[in-house]
Amino acid sequence: MAGALSLDEQRGAMKATWPKFNERGIDRQTQEIRWIGKCRPQFVTYTLEIRYQLLKYPKVRVLTPELVRMPDNPEGAIPHVYPPADDPTLCLFDPAQHQWDPTMYIATTTVPWSYDWLACYELWLMTGRWTGGGRHGSLVTNNGAEA
Amino acid sequence: MNAPLFFQGRNPFDDPVDRILAEIAMSSQLPPGLHNKATQRFKAVREHLEADARFEGDVEHFYPQGSMAIDATISTRGTDNEYDLDFITQLGGRFRSMQPLAILKEIEDAYRNYPVQKVARQTRCVTLYYADNMHLDITPALRAYGRLDREGWITHAKGPNASTDDHLVDMNAYGFIAWYRERTPTEQRLAKAMRDHWLAMDKALQAAEVDEVPEQCNFIVKNTATLALQLLKRFRNIGYANYSGRIPPSVMLSYYAGMAAQPDMSLSDMMIRQTTWIIGDIEQASRYGRLLHVANPICERDVFTDRWPTSIAQQNEFAKMLKDLVAGIQAAKRGDMAPNKLMDWLRHGFGDRVVTLAADRMADEIGGSVERAEQGYGRRGGIILPSAASIAAVAAPSIVRAQPHTFFGEKI
Repeated sequence: MAGALSLDEQRGAMKATWPKFNERGIDRQTQEIRWIGKCRPQFVTYTLEIRYQLLKYPKVRVLTPELVRMPDNPEGAIPHVYPPADDPTLCLFDPAQHQWDPTMYIATTTVPWSYDWLACYELWLMTGRWTGGGRHGSLVTNNGAEA
Repeated sequence: MNAPLFFQGRNPFDDPVDRILAEIAMSSQLPPGLHNKATQRFKAVREHLEADARFEGDVEHFYPQGSMAIDATISTRGTDNEYDLDFITQLGGRFRSMQPLAILKEIEDAYRNYPVQKVARQTRCVTLYYADNMHLDITPALRAYGRLDREGWITHAKGPNASTDDHLVDMNAYGFIAWYRERTPTEQRLAKAMRDHWLAMDKALQAAEVDEVPEQCNFIVKNTATLALQLLKRFRNIGYANYSGRIPPSVMLSYYAGMAAQPDMSLSDMMIRQTTWIIGDIEQASRYGRLLHVANPICERDVFTDRWPTSIAQQNEFAKMLKDLVAGIQAAKRGDMAPNKLMDWLRHGFGDRVVTLAADRMADEIGGSVERAEQGYGRRGGIILPSAASIAAVAAPSIVRAQPHTFFGEKI
């Protein structure tokens, strides 16, 4: 994709913006990188993993603590995620609205969006309501990538 | 005049734990509309007594005492919407030679046909019960001349007949309030944050909007110590909701809030500080087999603990409750409680309804900020809401603002 940021550009922005995130492996062959970092948007400290393969969508998982499920909640046991249910990936943007593409920095999109998700998740656990907006639906991407 | 910079205080809405605590306090305290109503009723009740021929010229002073005087009014024990407000009427003239029960009965008679649901004579006051669950306690007092301003005695008589147990009790409520106010000056940043939150909740108050919080703006808590005191009182009320006897008195808790007051502390730290202070004094007393003794700092004969505690076991029980409170706040500050567990703990300590209201307000505000992409994040990932963003941006230019986005995905 024209204008797509290189892995090194993404690495540099991550290092400058989020020093608490550490690189945990970069594969030049597959153009894939993985960051792990701790954050505490509100009440609890989380360990997040961000995986990114060039030109595909970044994937974010919560490594610790285990996400709490609320099976009878109208928003689902855990809202706004992608399967598998036992190891979900956060769904941070609507692919149909083209809110993310590889010309954008992960540091200024994916990371704060993950924090948004965690903040809304905590408030959902407290109130039973997801107040951060969004919509539920199945993923259809225009580049064949799984978000 | 602007408050000095070092008395600005902290905005409790900037920190998640402080924020939920502040929201709980706001859900427990006397709402501004009722505060205005209480002020009008205070005036009407005073004028009614002054106009009564039996009291003509003998009402020397009529003034609020207790929580009403220090902006710490919260709902009554075991309730979410009942409020007790306390007033002192200092009487002179013929009342100075009357027996305690006779004075109380005279006040009761004066309000016999007053337009309230019920008038009841208590051991030390007369209570007016309003239909909207507000209760006004009017406590008669006699001035002790030669002592400090308004120092004197209040009446104590169980009734219905005079008894040798009837007596006058030393008090200087007025002096205590002055002492408390002096130790808890206005913290403008906190007061403004509380006022702005009230304004957001009550559109009718927006007409009164000004940049600084005026001193006479009495419905607003103006410092962290008093906000922590409200929460401590609420915690006590819930903990003793099913007790029928006397509970740790509010004035005693106010004394500790005044003692522990210190500018620019966070709300949660202030709660820990006040609570730990009380625990320390109780443990010290119990260690020596004594009952906790707390007196008015400007009138040592005015003993705040004269009716509670009545046993060492009773004071130890309160200390244990307070230790649980401290442990809970500390766990929340460390991030050791999952949000759903935090809610369980808060509901247990502060009551289901007010905690639910507080969390709902928080969810709506933060969720709305996320949806509008108004918030930012610090380097450790801490959320920075629009109210704090301008201040924080100066201190930490590295704040990352989130771009607009739409959560998607499945319900799994």
